[in-house]
Amino acid sequence: MKKLYSLSILLLLTGLVFGQAPKRKSPQAYNSRAQNTPGGNFLDKQWWLGLKAGVNLSDVTVDKRYSALSPGNYPTSQTDKVYDDFNAIGSQVTLEVSFYFKGFTFSLQPAYRHSVFTYSNNYEWSDPENATNRLELTYDNEQKVDHAELPLIFKYDIIGNRLRPYVQVGVYYGFLINANKSVEVSGTDYASGGVNEFTNDPVIIGAKDLFANNHWGLLGGIGANYNLGNVRLNLDIQYRKGMSLINSTENRFGSDRLSGIGEAMDDIKINNLAFSIGCLFPMRYLASGFKTLDQR
Amino acid sequence: MTKYLFSLLLAGFLMVTSCVEETNPEFDQKSFTKIYDNNLYTIDYFPIDMVQTEDGGYLILGGRRLEDSNFTGIYLMKADKDGNFVKDIEVDESFVNPIAQLAFVNNNYYFFCMDPLTLQAQLGQTDANMENVNISATSGELYYPSAMQVDGNNFVLLSYNHLTKQSVLAVVNTSGVSSQSKAFTIGAGDQVEEPIINHFLRTGRQYPFEAGRIPGGLYYFNGFYNYTFSLVFTDLVQDDPRGVVQGIQDDGGFSAVKPLTATKFAAARFNFGDNYILPNTILNTTGTSSSVDLGGNTFPELEQNAKVKILRTVLKAKNVLVYGSNTRSKQIGLYFYDEATGAFLSSKYLGFSNPFEIAQVISTTDGGLAVCGTTYLAGRFPRICIIKIDAADIKGF
Repeated sequence: MKKLYSLSILLLLTGLVFGQAPKRKSPQAYNSRAQNTPGGNFLDKQWWLGLKAGVNLSDVTVDKRYSALSPGNYPTSQTDKVYDDFNAIGSQVTLEVSFYFKGFTFSLQPAYRHSVFTYSNNYEWSDPENATNRLELTYDNEQKVDHAELPLIFKYDIIGNRLRPYVQVGVYYGFLINANKSVEVSGTDYASGGVNEFTNDPVIIGAKDLFANNHWGLLGGIGANYNLGNVRLNLDIQYRKGMSLINSTENRFGSDRLSGIGEAMDDIKINNLAFSIGCLFPMRYLASGFKTLDQR
Repeated sequence: MTKYLFSLLLAGFLMVTSCVEETNPEFDQKSFTKIYDNNLYTIDYFPIDMVQTEDGGYLILGGRRLEDSNFTGIYLMKADKDGNFVKDIEVDESFVNPIAQLAFVNNNYYFFCMDPLTLQAQLGQTDANMENVNISATSGELYYPSAMQVDGNNFVLLSYNHLTKQSVLAVVNTSGVSSQSKAFTIGAGDQVEEPIINHFLRTGRQYPFEAGRIPGGLYYFNGFYNYTFSLVFTDLVQDDPRGVVQGIQDDGGFSAVKPLTATKFAAARFNFGDNYILPNTILNTTGTSSSVDLGGNTFPELEQNAKVKILRTVLKAKNVLVYGSNTRSKQIGLYFYDEATGAFLSSKYLGFSNPFEIAQVISTTDGGLAVCGTTYLAGRFPRICIIKIDAADIKGF
């Protein structure tokens, strides 16, 4: 697996190098007046380097449901987890390296992504012959998952001037860095001589083994660059559609703490809506009097 | 060059995406924890024994609390190979007190129980899918069945005769007919009998009754004999035991025993609440000795007079002894020993958050283990559970 990681990173780096190499010109070429005039070839392409950060919201797609509880006298569907869609805020930091060429941008955006998603289970035990023999429990689960991601993105600038909106599509590959899981049990106990509503302290555990070491997905989105002097301010909105499972299928019941209370992760794919703002810097400059792309 | 670059990137992408997680039914069977819930507040099932059926599923013999009887009722449950609940049967209350072993003989599953009125031992029989449960009376004066183990196509049954106050060891066939038996006195007086009856009513301590046969040799039982909880060896011919390993009344004795050879045993013993594991011990099967003299590895982490189950199996191509027991921290502890030398190999603890108690540990057809036990959902509702363990998850050897 490590060899595959190394290979993929090597491929990407190779891509960056080769992406530049064939178009590289001799130093004399940059002194050519004809090419360095506004609207000349020089301004048809540009390298951008920048940093973005923002927040994200997640939801999951369930491929197959699992539970450590196997009911004998009520439907299995009652053990299904109820996922909360896009209700917990995560965050991400992205380094963007982009190559612009005639309205199209090829961008590599390695990112550190902190995703949060939540779900709950509800259980009830009762006695038809004694209404006070009753216990209701709710298990609120929160997962915090950190991934290093390597997205490859193609952007197209819809219109081009100082404000340059764009659309983008791409693919990303994520590597698991860390994961934590907390389970808070709350409930109402009617059997203790009154109505006893309680909330237990959450059980918080490291859950890295419960998640897949890597996953991939597709992304699409919109955004806009605003050219401010030589730099670009960037607003970026991406929707990421997970294409592979983010949970570990082998270690589903690997945590005694969780399976002991009936908890087992479903086979899930994570989807993510990310909002970022950032700043990009051009890597190719002209002499004074020429700026980047917005000065045509 | 651009074409070359994209080919490289595409190849790299395909390679890395081939390594991602996918739903894998094989993993679902290798390792799981399943808790068999029932949303009735007062329901109380407990497991007694478990076997893996030929379809890879699991058949559990259990007990259940009865409203109108002091004895425990019979509960049977089937789970599939992924551990999911398939069906269960609450056997009619006219049969009570099911005991281990749930034995597989001639494509049927057998267990012993008793009639609550006559106290006569009954032989129950079902199939892997529990289509039918047939129960019929055994022949002979066999009351209060206590423990059973398969010996070929027969059963070695330990029972208690309350009329004569004797422990009775008998060989019973699949028709319930007793071909051999011998009775051994527990000693005179009601005080000796009281803990035995409390065991059957489950109002007192649960004693680790056992019965079996040294392969091709003597029969044995772990039960009451001559005022003490003893390991008794008999040929079922002579009236007196061939050998006795005595306990100390009911304060000391064996909590589990498994013959390895004619004289070599894997055993565990209790002594005034303490627990000792003896993975490789020589017992005198033709004389009188005391279990107190056997020593053993002390396990203070185990609860007082802990229930112990011993499994003789092959794990990772190694002959091992698996000891399963209950810890003071309410986990199930598994301890692995080299069968040949008795050397400790590894340990594994199961359960957390809620209490867990062991009923049985078995080997599975995929080379792993399955532990059947009781957990207490929400800390209060006793529910049967199965914990399936992949052999690869057992570290240390």
